[in-house]
Amino acid sequence: MTSAAAVAASELRFEDLVREHERMVFSIAYRFLQNPASAEEVAQDVFLELFRALSKLESRAHVVFWLRRVACHRSIDYARRHKNAAAEVSWDEMPEPSHRDPHAHSASDPMLAKRLRQVIAALPEKMRLVVILRYQEDAGLEEIAQTMRIPLNTVKSTLHRAHAILREKIGAAIGEANV
Amino acid sequence: MSDRLERELKKALQRVEPPAGFAERVLARAAREEAKSAQPRAWFRWFGMSGLRWAVACALCLALAGSAVLYRHQRQEKGEQAKEQVMLALQITSSKLRIASESVQQISGPEQPVRSEEP
Repeated sequence: MTSAAAVAASELRFEDLVREHERMVFSIAYRFLQNPASAEEVAQDVFLELFRALSKLESRAHVVFWLRRVACHRSIDYARRHKNAAAEVSWDEMPEPSHRDPHAHSASDPMLAKRLRQVIAALPEKMRLVVILRYQEDAGLEEIAQTMRIPLNTVKSTLHRAHAILREKIGAAIGEANV
Repeated sequence: MSDRLERELKKALQRVEPPAGFAERVLARAAREEAKSAQPRAWFRWFGMSGLRWAVACALCLALAGSAVLYRHQRQEKGEQAKEQVMLALQITSSKLRIASESVQQISGPEQPVRSEEP
């Protein structure tokens, strides 16, 4: 093992990575699938894949990128395999957003947030993922393109269409009917 | 896109906590997988333990192959014997038939030539 690889290995302890990124991976799967049990299943599988692929990952940034990408793809795979189950959305069972994140803002209007999540949940799968990565993960457009392996222009147009839908559905609720 | 809507989207899409014990369950699965991959396959373990076992396996294979050859040879030999017996039986039957035919001819006497009567 080279010294660089040894340093990387010591930095990338699996247990630390699980604890550090469990919220990110679970949240991507959860927002996409809208079902806590399904999200846990997908998130566990993603971490198991990480466990197998850990030796190939070079840095913490690489791990974050890898986890986001695999979480997105496994969530899509899961939704396609369990189409009927994914449609059963129980809004009351959904956990409320975590406030552990120091950068997180507190929701000013829980009803509006809930309505927004409902609209996002009804978006087409790729559009939903673009919105999740953009607003949950605060990812840049280029990063989203790389994560989802789609062209940058597709990300832009998808986000543009998502905005149009959101404006149409909840623009009035936030006093921006003409946004 | 307005700042207000973007702010509301960020608030609505805050990360959520995974269920309690999530990390422990992941780590337990990883540990199980590691333990599983560390174990060689059962047959490989069995042979990998001692050279004597390899010798036993080789001897078993040789014995099996030898038995197969012997069995085939015996079947071929039995076939040959059966063939010889059938041929002998046919020869005996043939000679008996010939004797019987001669006896019948003797009993019925020599054949008279047929004469045509003159008018």
